[in-house]
Amino acid sequence: MVELLLQNIWLIPIYGLIGAILTLPWSFGFIRRTGPRPAAYVNLLMTLLSFLHGSIAFNAIWTHPARQVMWQWLQVADLTLTLKINISPISLGALEVITGISLLVQLYALGYMEKDASLARFYGLMGLFEAALSGLAISDSLLMSYGLLEILTLSTYLLVGFWYAQPLVVTAARDAFLTKRVGDILLLMGIVALSNYGEGLDFSQLASWADDSTLPPLTATLLGLALIAGPTGKCAQFPLNLWLDEAMEGPNPAGIMRNSVVVSAGAYVLIQLQPVFTLSPVSEIVLITLGTVTAVGGSLMAIAQIDIKRTMSHSTSAYIGLVFIAVGLNHVDIALLLLFTHAIAKALLFMSVGSIILTTSNQNITEMGGLWSRMPATTTAYVVGAASLITAFPLGEFWTMRRWLDGAWPIPPWLLVILGFVNILSAMNLVRVFRLVFLGPKQPKTRRAPEVPWPMAFPLVTLTLVALLIPTVPIRWTLWLSAGAPMLQVPPPWTITWGLPILIASGVIGLLCGFWIPLQRTTARPTQMGLRFFQDLFAYDFYIEQIYKLTVMNLVASLSRLAVWCDRYIVDGVVNLVGLATIFGGNTLKYNTSGQSQFYLLTIFLGVAALFWLIFSGQWSIVTSVWSLWFAGG
Amino acid sequence: MLLSALIWIPVLGAIAIALLPQSVPNLWARRMALAIALLVLLLLIPITLGFNPDHLEAQFSEYLPWIGVLGLNYHLGLDGLSFPLVLLNGFLTLVAIFCTRAEIDRPRFYFSLILLLSAGAAGAFLAQDLLLFFLFYEVEIIPLYFLIAIWGGGRRGYAAMKFLIYTALSGILVLASFLGLVWASGAKTFDYEPLRHHSLPMEVEMALLIMLLIGLFIKIPIFPFHTWLPDAHVEASTPVSVLLAGVLLKLGTYGLIKFGVGLFFKAWIILAPGLAILATISALYGAFSAIAQQDMKKVVAYSSIAHMAYILLAAAACTPLSMTAAVFQMVSHGLISALLFVLVGVVYQKTGTRDVTILRGLLNPERGLPITGSLMIIGVMASAGLPGMVGFIAEFMVFRATFAIFTIPTLICLVGTGLTAVYFLLMVNRVFFGRLPDNLAAIPRVAFQDHLPSLVLTALLVIFGLQPAWVVRWSENQATDFVVSPELRRPTLGTAVRSPLSAPSLVAPAISPTLSSD
Repeated sequence: MVELLLQNIWLIPIYGLIGAILTLPWSFGFIRRTGPRPAAYVNLLMTLLSFLHGSIAFNAIWTHPARQVMWQWLQVADLTLTLKINISPISLGALEVITGISLLVQLYALGYMEKDASLARFYGLMGLFEAALSGLAISDSLLMSYGLLEILTLSTYLLVGFWYAQPLVVTAARDAFLTKRVGDILLLMGIVALSNYGEGLDFSQLASWADDSTLPPLTATLLGLALIAGPTGKCAQFPLNLWLDEAMEGPNPAGIMRNSVVVSAGAYVLIQLQPVFTLSPVSEIVLITLGTVTAVGGSLMAIAQIDIKRTMSHSTSAYIGLVFIAVGLNHVDIALLLLFTHAIAKALLFMSVGSIILTTSNQNITEMGGLWSRMPATTTAYVVGAASLITAFPLGEFWTMRRWLDGAWPIPPWLLVILGFVNILSAMNLVRVFRLVFLGPKQPKTRRAPEVPWPMAFPLVTLTLVALLIPTVPIRWTLWLSAGAPMLQVPPPWTITWGLPILIASGVIGLLCGFWIPLQRTTARPTQMGLRFFQDLFAYDFYIEQIYKLTVMNLVASLSRLAVWCDRYIVDGVVNLVGLATIFGGNTLKYNTSGQSQFYLLTIFLGVAALFWLIFSGQWSIVTSVWSLWFAGG
Repeated sequence: MLLSALIWIPVLGAIAIALLPQSVPNLWARRMALAIALLVLLLLIPITLGFNPDHLEAQFSEYLPWIGVLGLNYHLGLDGLSFPLVLLNGFLTLVAIFCTRAEIDRPRFYFSLILLLSAGAAGAFLAQDLLLFFLFYEVEIIPLYFLIAIWGGGRRGYAAMKFLIYTALSGILVLASFLGLVWASGAKTFDYEPLRHHSLPMEVEMALLIMLLIGLFIKIPIFPFHTWLPDAHVEASTPVSVLLAGVLLKLGTYGLIKFGVGLFFKAWIILAPGLAILATISALYGAFSAIAQQDMKKVVAYSSIAHMAYILLAAAACTPLSMTAAVFQMVSHGLISALLFVLVGVVYQKTGTRDVTILRGLLNPERGLPITGSLMIIGVMASAGLPGMVGFIAEFMVFRATFAIFTIPTLICLVGTGLTAVYFLLMVNRVFFGRLPDNLAAIPRVAFQDHLPSLVLTALLVIFGLQPAWVVRWSENQATDFVVSPELRRPTLGTAVRSPLSAPSLVAPAISPTLSSD
């Protein structure tokens, strides 16, 4: 039985898909009598099924051998495409996280989306989301992962555009799709190239291929860069980071998924691609640079936001930036652990944020205050989530950092600086948001806020408990992916001896700063020009959007205008000029015939008739001799 | 006889519909047309069952000497290249007839023309004789001209005329190339297979190929010969657009492979890098032009130009995979563009406009067109290459095959597929998202039968996207055979044996040495 469940683990994405398809009668209004709720229940049931199936398999995999299941998909000429799934503790663990969070989120959405008329459509899209994510978790083929990433892109587009009647939502959905698409197209280029160079597109083959590949350095670098681009878009890393912040226009339960597991999906693919990056030092440097820029920039952008969802989403980009750095340094296990702890912490924070938004009908943190006594479960969730995100004993991120700095990996000093910086800013920002939302005097919008109803409170509390338990994972983690990690160095360099204390100290500094900085609840802005400049710079995301408007978008728009102009006045212009001459010719004859179309048609018919006459009357030889003469001459 | 039936049943049906007495209600014209299209599809079942993709010769051959003095024979045959396209033609004809409203003006004439159009296309795909191909290629222009000129939109006169001049020119160039080949090689027949073994000097071959290419580029269309297409699509009614984009453009790409590669292989190889560059320009040009369009049909039309260019790119690469991919891309583009045109047609029929600056919020579940909108999202995603649908795997095969040979053009074409998402998303965002304005609030409901064609097309997109082998298997061997250089090709003594006439005298003396030297 257990063996059967393990072998058929590929059914889990199918469950989600079935759930999504089953919502169609409700979302298109074929069934109206029941209201949209049954669609939600169907999806919850399917997700529960996935979760149970996955859990049994996850328990079993520790005693069963890891294995791969392969299907031959297409075999044409020299192209063989296989779909392959990987059944291992890591893939099933990822599956467990995804189905678990998805189950909690869908339960949560029962409360959050209760009054939405399009509940069925929402659950359909969540089913699609879950199907693509769980497929990604077990996929061992780059092609399949690419496909699933694209389906994620589509479902992100549809989920962000869920409330499509609002103008901001429409642009947010468009930007989310197109930004990710930029990354995906580059990734596709990489896949096309890899499929030409490599033996196959399976992750497990990539490692052995990379070991004895003879790719020239430039090609390897370009290939690496193309493969990085896809996850960069997916994980909202600089320079493709803006969509995540805009995507906050979508419904919050989808936001929970997006900020915890969907962005992680891109990084998960990146981790699996890591052997290819070892081929080219440049791509490793690029990974580290992108990660650093996003980690630092994202943290800075987060502290200037007044929208509670946007500040959290910038922090997501920043933490995934750390994952990029870890992959760039080949610290693959740490990358995975970072993803895991971040996913749980961020999911919890976003659930808490969702509760706040629902009860206050507001996302602006400067209009909130004093919620702690009114919403104890939400407050607890926020505190636990925040503590799990920063390096604070004894929660998830602390243990992950401890694993990173325990001497198994070389830690360059700059890494400590970045980690410390992100930790300080993150702590400061979380405290700032905490003070604005939960402490201080009650505001008009928070005065009568109740605690959330049970469909939301239950997952909230459950996830809080989970977050308290997850430190066991980084503590007990066996180094699955980097078996060849260097051994402990004796004596340990100072970065390892002092690494953890420095990080803890940075967290404390951040907390103190957060408590110390003055907060205005009114929209009053700093009077010093310098401070004001920086606030604007961070709040408007370093004006990246304006830069894009001026460069890429402007370029595409100009080129398309040029193409249309050229089409109209040059290509078609010449044709019409020639045509005009003909029509003038036709005009003179117009008085003899009834109209120009008929005239042309007549000409055609006469021409064809002449041709046939030539054919049938045996006069063809005239034409023949002309041609053969011509060719004989040529 | 099966292949002839594919051509002549629609022709006879067309005549019968045209001659329906006035006392018979107009409704019958559509019913009869539907019945005939269904009959043709039924005929395709035994053909499908009997078709063996492992055989490289034309199957179900029919050979009838016609005009001996000219070397024109009625020679039909089905091979791996034409088989998917004949199926596509049969299926899309049914879709086009189904999409036509029963209360259309002059239904007898209309449905006759549609059937004639379909018969012409089928004939061209089946012809194994160059002159016969040309005849069908030309014949199909006339019904299409009338279909645009009579049932078209406001500027139909201009569009129909432009179409006529362009395609007539295309036909003349193709004919010139064929005649040149026959007379230069000294053959006494227009039969396809023997002509493949000509041994013309390179400069002659090159001249003939260029002539043929320009003719076919007009048809496909490839930049800069494309401007007739957006005009024709905009003015044509929905079913005509479906047939035009889905089937008739394929005549051009079919010609590229069958005659361009098949007859002038050596010259083709020399021209190939240039063709790849032209394909790249065409793809980008189509994509950028589509971004700025205001008319939904124009967006789809320009996107057609961009996507057809990938077929040229694949054909230029001349590898077994690229040839198979080219055929697959033809089928894929045929289905996707048909779906998009059908959906645009529904929007136009229900709202009275296709202008993206007027339409807004059509996804509204109560008063809008939610199902049409959802299908449209699926359709544009298929066109943009979303995995799981046929557009992805077809284009992936194209790019995978051409990357090794034309790396830079392939990468630029990949940018083109990225742009597909841009223009289609802009269109979907404007038309279907947003708030439904009051002036659009009175949209009539869409009946189930209006959804049926697009539902079937969508299902096919997904099925072939998940099971590409079902399409690819028919054409793989044949497509591979095209790129085996003529010197290595096995002797085609079979040509004479296969034709029921078994007239070796028809094989031109000029070709015999080639045969014996093999």
